[in-house]
Amino acid sequence: MVNLEVKNLTKKYNNKTVLNNISFEVKNGEFLSILGPSGCGKTTLLKILIGIETATSGTIIKDNKNITNLDASKRGMGIVFQNYALFPNMTALENVSYALNIKLKDRKKAKENSLKMLEMINMTEHLNKYPHELSGGQQQRVAIARTLVLNPDIILFDEAMSALDADNRLHLRRELKEIQKKLKTTMIYITHDQEEAFSLSDRVMILNNGNIEQIDKPNIVFNKPASEYVKNFVTNHLIEKVNSIEKCTGIDL
Amino acid sequence: MKNRSKLSLFILVFLSISVLFPLIEMLIRVDWSDFSSLIKSISFQEALTNSIYIGFVATIISVLIAYFLAYTLNRTNIKHRAILKMLITIPMLIPSISHGLGLINLFGTNGIISKIIGFNIIGPSGIIIGSILYSFPVAFLMIDDGFKYIDNSLYASAKILGLNKWQTFKKVTFCYLKKPIFSAIFAVFTMIFTDYGVPLAVGGKFVTLPVFLYKEVIGLLNYSTGTIVGLFLLIPAFISFIFDNFSKDYSNGDFEGNEYNITENKIRDIIFKIYTYLIIIIVFVIIGSFVYYAIIDNPSLNPVLSLKHFEYVSSNDIVKFIFNSLFIAISASILGTIITYFTAYVTARVKGILPKIIHILTILSLTIPGMVLGLSYTIGFSGTFIYNTFMILILVNIIHFIASPYLMAYNAMQKVNPNYEIIAKTCNISLFKIIKDVIIPSTKTTIREMFAYFFVNSMVTISAVAFLFNTKTMPLSLLINNYEGNMMLGEAAIISLIILLFNILLKGIIYLINRKEDKKKYEAII
Repeated sequence: MVNLEVKNLTKKYNNKTVLNNISFEVKNGEFLSILGPSGCGKTTLLKILIGIETATSGTIIKDNKNITNLDASKRGMGIVFQNYALFPNMTALENVSYALNIKLKDRKKAKENSLKMLEMINMTEHLNKYPHELSGGQQQRVAIARTLVLNPDIILFDEAMSALDADNRLHLRRELKEIQKKLKTTMIYITHDQEEAFSLSDRVMILNNGNIEQIDKPNIVFNKPASEYVKNFVTNHLIEKVNSIEKCTGIDL
Repeated sequence: MKNRSKLSLFILVFLSISVLFPLIEMLIRVDWSDFSSLIKSISFQEALTNSIYIGFVATIISVLIAYFLAYTLNRTNIKHRAILKMLITIPMLIPSISHGLGLINLFGTNGIISKIIGFNIIGPSGIIIGSILYSFPVAFLMIDDGFKYIDNSLYASAKILGLNKWQTFKKVTFCYLKKPIFSAIFAVFTMIFTDYGVPLAVGGKFVTLPVFLYKEVIGLLNYSTGTIVGLFLLIPAFISFIFDNFSKDYSNGDFEGNEYNITENKIRDIIFKIYTYLIIIIVFVIIGSFVYYAIIDNPSLNPVLSLKHFEYVSSNDIVKFIFNSLFIAISASILGTIITYFTAYVTARVKGILPKIIHILTILSLTIPGMVLGLSYTIGFSGTFIYNTFMILILVNIIHFIASPYLMAYNAMQKVNPNYEIIAKTCNISLFKIIKDVIIPSTKTTIREMFAYFFVNSMVTISAVAFLFNTKTMPLSLLINNYEGNMMLGEAAIISLIILLFNILLKGIIYLINRKEDKKKYEAII
């Protein structure tokens, strides 16, 4: 079933086209990555999807409902940022339960759900710590739990792991994948990191200069790049990898 | 989004009414035919030259004193830095006229010290010393802050490159301190150039521009001439504004905070320790003179311990004046902090042209000297319902002091994560709720600082309120003016002490709250 449908979306800033007539669909429970270099339009796309920026033209349909002009608070979407954006004056538990309290108007229930969510994301030990007492990875776990607990239909991630070190990123990536399998929430993941996009996603969208170059399963993008751009994008990354392995090991690959 | 535009619009309307409207009213009513006769008059020319002369001499000495104090606290092995910093800034807690009063007590015609040394300092030297006394703490705070933003890793680089001490100073220290030092020079010059408290007290026959304005308006009710003189007072502040906003700043704070490695040097430490203590002693001698004059009857001829001055002050409805001052200061602090906070919220966190206009308007208010603002209020609001009430005094204080707290809030607001509002939106939390629950708690220290700034300055100001008070609303600081004018030095000293006491009390309370909060310190990382 189609969860989200974007039709002919265009965004212009003072005659500069940032998104050029793009259309795509996201299925229910799908994990879609939007991959591209900085300036390709991916952050603008995210802002339009979540509803804090308006498109110049085009429609967005969610569960057969036109949400193009719907207020951000009514879209049933959540967002996770690169810089976590945790509330610094609240503990991990308070961060997660804050919005739920307001939504449910039932403190006990809110706390219960929040605890469950924090347990799922392995943060039970750190419930009463303030953000500055947590590592980057732990902070991002809290941020994810804060979004998940409201039970949104779609979660958007804005470069959510780029601030983490390699080790933490790997861990969190695995956990996120598991959570997604368990909850079957649709996730749209914005990144410039190919490895992340390919390892996490059901499908990958390659965005370049406001145009969709290709949107396919990772292995297809990899084996059958739809354009010269995608081919270069993917192979350049591979060559870099090989070079660095050669440098490290001294083995000529 | 709707809430935010409404807020921006509201603030713009508020600033237009309280800043632009009176200024325009004032300028419209100027009789420009007075201009040339004023410029040609010898008394005006004298006042202008006097002011420039005083400004230059006092500023140079004041900034030099401040620089070496900041140097001592940042570059020598001195103990109790926090306490020393607090003591150095005590002069900021009393009105400028009180510094003049202190000098009269000590070095006036019948002063304690002048009687011993045989001469007094009434006149230009008195104004210079008084101006230095009340302005050096401001310069000190600015330069001290400048020291904190020097990238100390550059000293290691300088060493590796083999730079000598003088070269290192030129290429590293001065490069970073240039801007704060020049800002301090401009700020101090503006302060001294526009102050009438010190010259009124110790100037004698030596008239400066602000005193000239004061006499024109209070004595002769000559508003038009007053306004033209006011325009001259505006010039240095305007130059300073342009400098501050268009000069290059090296200290962007984008580096890891390396501690500066203070070298061992006993002689240097002792010299600067003596120097710092000496300055603090001078500050306390001034305050000590208030105590002496307050409890001694007839200090110049036949000093006897007496409660006469206290009795006089209390029989003269002192409670009412204290109430007036506290009421004005507290109201200006509460309302000023709220208005300033939301102004900064809009300019720091909302995009668009409106917030930019508001930003410029708010920092431009820094260029309006208190006397000019007060004069514009007298002219602009006369006949309105706020005239002759507490409201006009509260409003004028808010506008007079809005720029500094505004910048404090603006800087703090920019450090707050830019995504909270988006998170709130997607979670269906209202803008005002997220401001209340997250943004205000994470900028609490700044809010307290803003409050204290409004309070202390409203307590000590005499410039903006001088033309606006009446017998019912008169604040304490202007009472000093009255007593001093009638040579009731003991009574004036008591009032100065009362103001100092309330300011110290407030500073103390804020210090204690901050310290308590420090224990659960979460504001470090946002």
